[in-house]
Amino acid sequence: MRETRLWSLHILVIPIIAVLLGMHLALMHYAPVFYDMSVDKARDFTTMIERGKSVAQLVIYILLLIAGLYHGLYGLRGILRELPLTPTLVKVVDVGILLFGLFIFALGTYVTWWTFNFGG
Amino acid sequence: MSDKTITPREITFRIRRYNPDTDTVPHWDEFRMHVHDGMTVLEALHQLKAEQTPNLAYRSSCRMGVCGSCGMFINDLPMLACQTQVLHLGTDVVSVAPLPNYPNVKDLVPNLEPLIQKHAAIKPFIIFTNQAEIDEPTGEFIQTPEERESISQFTHCIKCGLCLAACPTVATDPEFLGPQALAQAYRYSADNRDCGLKERLVAIDVFHGPYQCHMAGACSQACPKGVDPAFAIQLLKRTLVLDSIGFGKKPSKIAKIMPLANVVKQIEEFAPPPRTVK
Repeated sequence: MRETRLWSLHILVIPIIAVLLGMHLALMHYAPVFYDMSVDKARDFTTMIERGKSVAQLVIYILLLIAGLYHGLYGLRGILRELPLTPTLVKVVDVGILLFGLFIFALGTYVTWWTFNFGG
Repeated sequence: MSDKTITPREITFRIRRYNPDTDTVPHWDEFRMHVHDGMTVLEALHQLKAEQTPNLAYRSSCRMGVCGSCGMFINDLPMLACQTQVLHLGTDVVSVAPLPNYPNVKDLVPNLEPLIQKHAAIKPFIIFTNQAEIDEPTGEFIQTPEERESISQFTHCIKCGLCLAACPTVATDPEFLGPQALAQAYRYSADNRDCGLKERLVAIDVFHGPYQCHMAGACSQACPKGVDPAFAIQLLKRTLVLDSIGFGKKPSKIAKIMPLANVVKQIEEFAPPPRTVK
């Protein structure tokens, strides 16, 4: 893929992360403000499992996972590829980061999906 | 600048020396000489070579900031030696070293091959796809003063290589195309006579292309001709992004050919009246 598209996507996900992270903060850290619930209660296991059954939470967290992983791993690739690497190592970095991203995405999606379907 | 700093006086020149035939690592030599007001670093080097160190190697040509040959690292900043007055530096010790981010050939002579290679890679010329017109030109391209002005500053590049020497990204990532090549890629791609962006993508739409620019802006500060390569890189990013989503240069924006008869007519219309010599 053209580097322009990869970079554009990296920039494009910034506002998406900002919005989704704002929602995450509202759910978890500003629970007393938005839900009249203490932070401890918001972080409580049973509350989290209960919240996990919401479709909105499922969508928000999977989207945040995709956006955060793409943004962070593209940045990491940029840092690693600035090092003096051989062409083979460049491929190792590119493929390694892609596989690592897919693994974390699968893991994160599984946890969110499990909570949505079977939690509690 | 205070009068004291430009008072003619003895200046110590610390010059980095390196002879690949005899030295394994570069070393510094010191020379003292009397510097008068207005003397440039290049003139000082000429005088040092003539009077104190005849085997000093450096590159120079025009002596007026046009050819870009005498780029050096003067007091830890990339500058043209012919445009830098010694007393204006304001120090009693002036250090002169070859440009960083380039291999060193000898003494103050850098090997500018990386600059030339990167410059050539972006195809720094107008690419016009109408082969029939190239083979048998029927007229001239139409370019308005406004269209010319939009790329004007980027045409002033003299390929001195100071921007690459100043660039912190080139220092850590030698494969980064660098401000000179990227600014020229924008200069040609934005030219309304050019339709060669697609051909340049192979060289510029890559990891070591414009997106590696960390926007330090050192290139723009170093440029002796007032070019702003950092700005050109941002404009190039915009050009590439628009092109990637199908909003690239429209065919209607590419220069039309003005038939030769019309060119002659226009020259006649705008030509000044014949000179009358009394």
